[in-house]
Amino acid sequence: MDESKKRLVQRLIRRIPTKMLKTTLQKWGHLTGEQHRAMDSIQSKWALTESLLAICEENELAVKHLTELEMIYMMDNPDQGMWYAFQLTDPGDDAQSVDLMQFKEQFKSHLRELVRQVSVKIKKHTDEAVWIRIAWGDAYSRPDHLKPTYVVHYLQTPYVFVTRLNSKQKPMLFQAMVLSTRYQYFKDANLSGRNLTAIRDLLMRKYQQVFPTKYPSPLTERKQTVTNPHVEREQAKPAANRLQMACEAFGGGTLPQLQSAVYKLETKFRDHTNTLMTEREEPFRCVVKFSSTNLLESLKNCASSGIASTPVTPLLSSIPLKGKNYFVITDNVPGPSSQMRQTQN
Amino acid sequence: MCLCLTECFEYFSNVEMAAQLNLSGHPDSGLPSLTDQSMSSRTSNRSLRVAEKERRKNEAEDPSVLALQYFYNVEAGTPVSGNDEVERNLVLVEQVAYRNGLSPEAISIMLEFAMSLRMGHSLCPRVLKCLIPVTVVPQEAVVRGVSWLGVGKIPVSTQVLFIKWVLTVFDMIDAKDQLRAIYGFIFSFVSEENLCPFICHLLYLLTSKQIVRVFRVRKLLELQSKLGRQPFLLNLLSLYKVFCPELVTFSIPSQSKSVFKNHNMPWKSALFAVQKRNGSQVASSISLASASKDGTNRRKRKRHHLEIPVLRSVVNKEPQTETRRRLVPLVQIQSVAELLENMDHIELPAQMGSLLGSSLALQYLDCVQDESALLRLNFWLGYALHEELLFCGDGASQNSEESLQFLNKLLSTQHFLQEGFSSSEAFLYKFLNVWDGSLLRPQILGLLSNIPVIPSSQIERLLFKPLMQLFFTSSVFFKCGLIECLNNMLLKWLIWHSVYALEDDLDISRNSHTSINMTLSGFKDSVMGLVDFVGRLASSGLQLEGCHSLLLSFILDFYTMVCDTFLKYGLPLVVMPPPGVFYPALFATDPVSVDRLAFIMYRYKVNLTSAKIQEKLTDQAFHISRQTFHEFNNYTVYMVNCLWNSKMFQPGMGVQLGEELLLKSNVPQYWTSFDLVHHPAFMSYAIDFHQKCWPGKKDIDLDSIKHSKPWSWYLEYLFSQGYDGLALFVQSNIRARQGNGQQGDSLST
Amino acid sequence: MSRGFVYNILFRTGIVLSVYIRMSLLKPFSKLPGLNAANILLVECEEQFQKSLADALVEETAVTVYVRLAKSLPLPKENEESRPRIDLVVFIINLTSELSFQSAEASLKYLDPGYLLGKVCFMVTNARNASVPTERLDAVRKLAAALHCPLLFAEDQTPDGVTYATKRLLSILKVSAGLVPMATALYLSSLTSCTVPPDIDQPSFD
Repeated sequence: MDESKKRLVQRLIRRIPTKMLKTTLQKWGHLTGEQHRAMDSIQSKWALTESLLAICEENELAVKHLTELEMIYMMDNPDQGMWYAFQLTDPGDDAQSVDLMQFKEQFKSHLRELVRQVSVKIKKHTDEAVWIRIAWGDAYSRPDHLKPTYVVHYLQTPYVFVTRLNSKQKPMLFQAMVLSTRYQYFKDANLSGRNLTAIRDLLMRKYQQVFPTKYPSPLTERKQTVTNPHVEREQAKPAANRLQMACEAFGGGTLPQLQSAVYKLETKFRDHTNTLMTEREEPFRCVVKFSSTNLLESLKNCASSGIASTPVTPLLSSIPLKGKNYFVITDNVPGPSSQMRQTQN
Repeated sequence: MCLCLTECFEYFSNVEMAAQLNLSGHPDSGLPSLTDQSMSSRTSNRSLRVAEKERRKNEAEDPSVLALQYFYNVEAGTPVSGNDEVERNLVLVEQVAYRNGLSPEAISIMLEFAMSLRMGHSLCPRVLKCLIPVTVVPQEAVVRGVSWLGVGKIPVSTQVLFIKWVLTVFDMIDAKDQLRAIYGFIFSFVSEENLCPFICHLLYLLTSKQIVRVFRVRKLLELQSKLGRQPFLLNLLSLYKVFCPELVTFSIPSQSKSVFKNHNMPWKSALFAVQKRNGSQVASSISLASASKDGTNRRKRKRHHLEIPVLRSVVNKEPQTETRRRLVPLVQIQSVAELLENMDHIELPAQMGSLLGSSLALQYLDCVQDESALLRLNFWLGYALHEELLFCGDGASQNSEESLQFLNKLLSTQHFLQEGFSSSEAFLYKFLNVWDGSLLRPQILGLLSNIPVIPSSQIERLLFKPLMQLFFTSSVFFKCGLIECLNNMLLKWLIWHSVYALEDDLDISRNSHTSINMTLSGFKDSVMGLVDFVGRLASSGLQLEGCHSLLLSFILDFYTMVCDTFLKYGLPLVVMPPPGVFYPALFATDPVSVDRLAFIMYRYKVNLTSAKIQEKLTDQAFHISRQTFHEFNNYTVYMVNCLWNSKMFQPGMGVQLGEELLLKSNVPQYWTSFDLVHHPAFMSYAIDFHQKCWPGKKDIDLDSIKHSKPWSWYLEYLFSQGYDGLALFVQSNIRARQGNGQQGDSLST
Repeated sequence: MSRGFVYNILFRTGIVLSVYIRMSLLKPFSKLPGLNAANILLVECEEQFQKSLADALVEETAVTVYVRLAKSLPLPKENEESRPRIDLVVFIINLTSELSFQSAEASLKYLDPGYLLGKVCFMVTNARNASVPTERLDAVRKLAAALHCPLLFAEDQTPDGVTYATKRLLSILKVSAGLVPMATALYLSSLTSCTVPPDIDQPSFD
């Protein structure tokens, strides 16, 4: 048997939790009913590997079938590893009219032109997303199916989400992407997270947003559930105000799960007690990182509970506003003004 | 048995022999043939071996046996890279290890193979990681492993991994005596910086009292000055301090948190899985040794300190008759007779906490002279209480059930031993300061009532201050509970005193386990402090709770004991209740309280009278202050005046009110309001009596009861209702009974 | 205890009364008490525990309990009219948060010293949490001791803990609202006021 196939099977079985294996295999649809039952009865991963290998022999399944299995599992469980968001800019005239067949063909051929040894698999997911699995090889080696890159693209939108992309392969993917989607440029959207849906929702504004209003918003009314008349909140108004502002900044309902936000400061050091540092010409460089299991929810809570001052500083509110979680902060204009400005990159 | 030996069995016993021989200084002795001689000497793990063999027989022709044979025989210096045979055999062993775990012999072989670096060190970590024991780990293998550390070719990371492995399987090592014997050798590794934390943990598990020496303390202190106050050093030192406080003089913060982390990461899941899969087998093989309990607790214990370990020793050896050390594991003792027989050579279990679960073990603990067992138990207990209850992290709810059971167990242990542990005492003093008054209340109050006598200089800050705040801000039920708890505490102190005072007169410091030196006067001061404190709580408590009758009842319980300290417990001390207790009880609306007060006053009188007699008999007897007599007389006179003579407001009495004010109240004949007829507690009886006495009379005139004839009938009637206290009080205080108006007599001072 | 004495304590403990804004100062006796009613003010920076406490407090049937919730003092002026006389002010301090303590400390400035005569208490949560630095607990103790206020500990994580904390607050509230005959707030506070315990890490018996 082919060694690479064997290792691929080993890896797949190791990665897929036993309790999910059944459904994944069923979706895959390459096993007979009997084989399904046989697989179900096995408990240990080691035996599962052996059994799946035997089935592959029996059913004459090739590597490409196995990659399909991997893709099925990946599409159902995308929240593994870091996803990075990218954005296509300057659409061409026909960018809106690219359809799936066209894209599939073009992407494959463009990528093959750039890299000879590459294995591409494209599948359309139910929610309009196009999933691309790329196994890279180089001039001397065959595609490595153990370290594939996954790309998720929504047709007719400029957003692309990538995971497990090597910096060496980046330019090639960009090139193929730009050409097959009829855009001009491809740039880093400065957004990353473990949860694919979250970063997609954030970038595509698919979460419940709240807009500033001068009138008592329905939000506060909803909040005032019927409480005991003997209980009175003294500071109900400021609290409602804070909540309103927090929701304006971060959104109302459940928020997309982001894990971190990074601020790279390249500003001048300002502290009148420390002249040595303040007088330095070069900016003071440091990185501030916020992390949490659900960063936006935490920040919203900070603001609504009064731990962070309201109105929410643009530094924090631009995470959902700009759909970014990596910022470089530079001085706006060199001078006495201590205003900070987030630059676009 | 010899006939049915399979190849593998033969092979395994050989290996063990080889290991033993190697240990005794004959390296590379090869595979000696199986002789009768070796059979008979191989008594250890016999029953296990049989079970093992049975199992093995079922998996006949197991290729893993051949694999093990390969690792046993492999020549030193065999290359690793490109050696398919090693890879194949190792995979086989790994499969067995991760699926079923390795037998003790297999562990010996693989450990020896890895640590001897016969094939270099590249395979070492991999081998170590698959050492999942199915039953026990032979001590010899561990000792040999440790000895290989000294050779010094093993990379540091592998050394660390090895020690971590030893820590992980520590409870499964079949004996610890040889490991203890090489304590000094293991200790020598503390100076290696990378190994130090793990070595400290291992030493911590092996330390016994004899091992703590000045030079070791000095070495650790030296390390501490070099590395800073590292938690692992502190923890080892604090254990040394427990054993030999005189050697470790500096103070160690007792707040140090969980210091030794679990290092079982590489093995955890595998161990768990193997134990789960072999659940029944492990349990059955262990039940050979352990008389009690299921095997399920073992896994839990890794996460929770409060899980009381099952008393077991993994020493499965049948008692060796002729060997030199003849240590008998505590678990094998089945009866008190056996315990007494083996008193001097009992091996304590590795988990001291397991003692709590076994009454035999507690009996041993109670009578053994060597302090170290109690010290170890105390140390474990203090740690468990501190970690799991005092500073439980967050989520207080999740382990409350566990805490509850643990504390109940601890309480029953303390009841069994009839004394508290010093660690639970120290824990309580801290816990009271952060207690909300409700969490585990019955248990905490139970533990509190077990604490030994506290010197009066400490009692205020340790006990009274925190309790006072809790008492006055809590519900009446807490108040009752606390009074009851203090009542029990006093009772235990008094019993303790009466036991030791009998043994040798005044020196009651010769107490078994507490380290308090206390003289009689010191003890009296403490008791007095406690009684005064309850007096303070009771007076203000009754006031705040509007003389709640339940609370009053608990308070009277307390004074029922206090009034008898001299006669019942032989403590020459008489303390009167404060007015804040006396008057509410006297004016209580329920007759039971008044009756109990009368009984208490009667007992006071008996105690004081006999104290006086004794004072006259023996000159140097104690002296009861005039103040006490004065208080007693005042109370008695007032009580008699009030209940008997209908003279409530006599000048010079405890309760005084201005004449005009009383007239203003418009109460007719106010002076009679609290006599036995008009007292709110007894009025119903008076009316009942009146109806029985004069059935025809329509209008009730209670005053008519006061005439001498009906009065004596009325008294008789009252006493027949079960008011014995009142009867005793009247009998002892009122002599002549010709009509009304007698004076109650009083004790002269 | 005279009022001057209380002021004195305030100064000694470093609580500066320079922010002495007449209007926003909460006063204990500026209004008449209600009939068979007690008013309690729960001040908690995090606004978590106070809600569950409030819900439990109003369940009391023997007296009518009115609960006011606040994040910090001073209280907003616009409620001044509707606000009844507050009988007991409870500062809830979550020991795991430094902010919680600081906020309570800052709020004390807006309290009329008259309250310190038995109408203030501190309620501490998470005291048994392993991550709490001992210094913070000591600081809270010192504060409560300096103000002669009771310091209660509560288990806010469990329903039983909340119930019991409520009971304890009620028993203090009833006294401070004058609903317990023969007892006054000052009397109770003299029995329950917190003291700073000396270091009990090493109970030395020798």
